[in-house]
Amino acid sequence: MNEALNILTRGFVRENPVTKMLLGLCPVLAVTTSAINGLGMGLATTFVLLGSNVVISLTAKAIPDTVRIPSFVLVIATFVTIVDLLIKAYSPELNQALGIFIPLIVVNCMILGRAEAFASRSGIWYSMIDAIGMGLGFTLALLVLSAFREILGSGTIFNIPLVGEDVNTILVFALPPGAFAGLGLIIAGLNALEKKKGGK
Amino acid sequence: MRPIITLTLVGLIAASLLAIVDDMTRNPIALAKAEMKRKAIEQIFPFAIDSLKQVETEKTKFYEAYDKTGTLKGIAVESATTLGYSGKIEILLGVSPAKKIFDYKVVYHLETPGLGDKIDKPRFKEQFRERALEGTTWKVKKDGGDIDELTAATISSRAVTDAVERGLRYINEQYPKHEGK
Repeated sequence: MNEALNILTRGFVRENPVTKMLLGLCPVLAVTTSAINGLGMGLATTFVLLGSNVVISLTAKAIPDTVRIPSFVLVIATFVTIVDLLIKAYSPELNQALGIFIPLIVVNCMILGRAEAFASRSGIWYSMIDAIGMGLGFTLALLVLSAFREILGSGTIFNIPLVGEDVNTILVFALPPGAFAGLGLIIAGLNALEKKKGGK
Repeated sequence: MRPIITLTLVGLIAASLLAIVDDMTRNPIALAKAEMKRKAIEQIFPFAIDSLKQVETEKTKFYEAYDKTGTLKGIAVESATTLGYSGKIEILLGVSPAKKIFDYKVVYHLETPGLGDKIDKPRFKEQFRERALEGTTWKVKKDGGDIDELTAATISSRAVTDAVERGLRYINEQYPKHEGK
């Protein structure tokens, strides 16, 4: 059980895919303009990760090494297309906001990374826990970054205004440079915290 | 041989799974799209819509909005411009049967967040209300027209002005006449 808990929680901070491993940065930087987008993207990615990790851990032994990567990509692409269709059908608003970034989950290297590094050599149970842990870590990172950018850049959170319409917000945080700056600040903060802890 | 068979099998399973999901979601997706359009149309008219009728012409689509008694209360027209800061802007323009503007809604744009995207904010949209094709110079004030441009978003403001004017022209030139009704 300890092992399971360890696998689950390491994705949150210790081995967070975004702030520690810097994986899948394209969606991280591009869609985190509002908290809703960040959350939606995070959850969609988590679903894909869970599906692909389970299928890959079940089938890895039957797949010869030469076609391992193509098979993994196919599995991941299938789950991404399913998510894409489901979002289009049941949440058109989210579809409008996330648009082309959902199909791009296919090339999110975090998912292929987990498939290669973990799911293909572990049992289904641990692979599932790994997917949930890593997915939640990814979602958490996206949520923090997007909330940060939305508050500073647009003066709203989850589309609820925090300041009047006339107040000037720090626009740069709503624009692409703000994504880089915001992510950099978050990573720097986490590293500083860790150093402090380790120095004790 | 084995790699080929494996990959083929994986591909086959993936394809059949996708076929099933596509089949399941085709209807909901079409419904969701229609619902989005209807919501957008409802937002631009200040009255309750009972039924909508779509009229298609060569260049655009019109939506006639009727109230409960079956009288025509407003017409929405799809209009677009390519003059935006980042390309195309599509709007849905709502006018009264007397061809005066109620409101519009931006349905597609790639303008800068925080600057150009204010073209969809009430504060900018308000000034279009009650305007008609005649009696308005369809240019921003900077260019000698009647429309107050947004600070730091003159190009986006110009583009919307162009899209609105186009919409009004569509209604004037292409909207089929309804005699008697």
